[in-house]
Amino acid sequence: MSTWRPTPSLVRACLFALGGLAGGVVGGLDVLVMLAAPFVVLAAMGLAGRPRRVPTVSTRIDHHRLHEGQGTTSRLVVDDLTGIEHATRVAGPAPHVATRPTYGAAGSLVDAGLPVVEFSPRRWGRRAIGAERVGLTSSWAGWQWGPVDMPEHGLSVLPQTAPYDSRAEVPQPDGLVGRHRSRRIGSGTEFEGIRHFAAGDRLKRITWPVSLRTGELHVITTRAEQDAGVWLVVDGLRDIGRSGGIDGAASTLDLTVRAAAALAEHHVRTGDRVGLLVVAADPSRVPLGSGPRHLQRIQAVLARIRTEGRSVAPERLDLGAGAGSVVHVLSPMLFTPLVTATASLQRSGASVVVIDTWGERDAGSDRLALPSLAARMQKIERDDRLERLAALGCPVVPWHGPGTLDTVLQQLARRARVPKVRAR
Amino acid sequence: MSALDRVLTPGLTTGGLVLRVVLALLPCAALALALPEVPHLIVTALVVACSLRWAVTPDHPAGAAALLLVGGWWAVHDVVDWRVLVVAVLLLTAHVVATLLAHGPATLPVDPRLAGLWLRRALLALVPVPVAWLAVRGLDADLAPSWLWLVVALVLGALLVLTSRLLAPEVE
Repeated sequence: MSTWRPTPSLVRACLFALGGLAGGVVGGLDVLVMLAAPFVVLAAMGLAGRPRRVPTVSTRIDHHRLHEGQGTTSRLVVDDLTGIEHATRVAGPAPHVATRPTYGAAGSLVDAGLPVVEFSPRRWGRRAIGAERVGLTSSWAGWQWGPVDMPEHGLSVLPQTAPYDSRAEVPQPDGLVGRHRSRRIGSGTEFEGIRHFAAGDRLKRITWPVSLRTGELHVITTRAEQDAGVWLVVDGLRDIGRSGGIDGAASTLDLTVRAAAALAEHHVRTGDRVGLLVVAADPSRVPLGSGPRHLQRIQAVLARIRTEGRSVAPERLDLGAGAGSVVHVLSPMLFTPLVTATASLQRSGASVVVIDTWGERDAGSDRLALPSLAARMQKIERDDRLERLAALGCPVVPWHGPGTLDTVLQQLARRARVPKVRAR
Repeated sequence: MSALDRVLTPGLTTGGLVLRVVLALLPCAALALALPEVPHLIVTALVVACSLRWAVTPDHPAGAAALLLVGGWWAVHDVVDWRVLVVAVLLLTAHVVATLLAHGPATLPVDPRLAGLWLRRALLALVPVPVAWLAVRGLDADLAPSWLWLVVALVLGALLVLTSRLLAPEVE
């Protein structure tokens, strides 16, 4: 534990004051006495201001779970401020975390309140913030405590909920109650047609204008409204490109995770059941579910995704998804086994949409440089894989935010109404 | 990035930079007041070097060395005219500026409230200066009784012991 030590300022004042007085008395240098006079005042006040107690200092942050781009405040807690005049704290830099003040150094007089440091994580994931050094100074800058290292705080940073909305209906809703128009006739509000009245029809369904015009009773028929099972398959095998956080360029994994978060939020709000499968070195699976708590669970799993060089793509995507489920595979499709697994899923009857999260990458200025050549070769292989997937009837759409899936889902919905042969 | 930015500490505030420049200049200015009499080259070089070191690291012992060198030079030359008053102000200002800067790293912005507090303290500390100056000019030390010097020496010795005991680190 740190104790109160004299500051260099106090030592300097004492040295000059006593040296001046001693020089004046012993050596007869009376000018030195005059020059030392103000330092006598500073030294005396500084010495007298020694605090009696060693303080207990800690820091705490206001939030432990944030979305990227949001901010939290780190506060200093001192048990006894008696005799303390000034507090200084300097937070160390952390990757993908912005601080205010910019360089993490904050100080203030204790009368004006203890200094605070604000942190704002700029990228999803697990972040450590608040590793800092704290120093306290007594009145007249006579004594100092610290600087003492403070422990860091763990912060779970959820992906930014990118603006996403879709007007397209899910192709094959299979649940009980929801917002999607069912293929079956039921007691919804979506208009399906008008037919003759039959025994058992509810009287409130009778359409009087048509009945009066034709002279026979007619009723309005409507579609039932159902929810759907939506699976999100997230490719966390590799992260290509440099991530600049939400303010800068996005890596492939950034695009993948943010797109998955946006889709999950959209479908949960729509009332669908959403499941998540993370394909990574440390795979994880969230079963189908709905509601805000389920959305938080999905976001937390997304925030824990980490890429490792030893990651191997799976041969098969075991979702347990029924024929009515929609599967969104979010991936830059860099691995052939993942492409094969996606094609197998498509053949088993699920409505699969591949969302390409490669993004826009700069090929580099020098076309003959090795990295540039490697990137071009990788792009050719990737394009070939995506073309083969599209040839199998699996739509591939690049992720570009709101409306990305509208056209594709409408096409899938039309296709779902057509009889088809299913491979087993 | 300009050449100046490469030399300076990243994040150094404008206020901090200005105070550091002032800190480097103050002891040199206090010595330059002796002109047209030119101090010895070694003294000048030492004061300049110590001042620069002090401006870079306000906690550094070079600050005390700069103060003692300048104060010692004026004392040895026994100048008691108006210039000594200015020297006293300059040396105290340098000490206060260094104290302000020593409250944190170079990236810590200078707190205006703290600066105001130390300005008031510096003005308070300057109160004994004109009194001491008038005493030095008006009183003849040879006329003082011998016991007075003995008492002053004893008080000074007691002050030295007391200060050293207060500044000693606490035994945990």
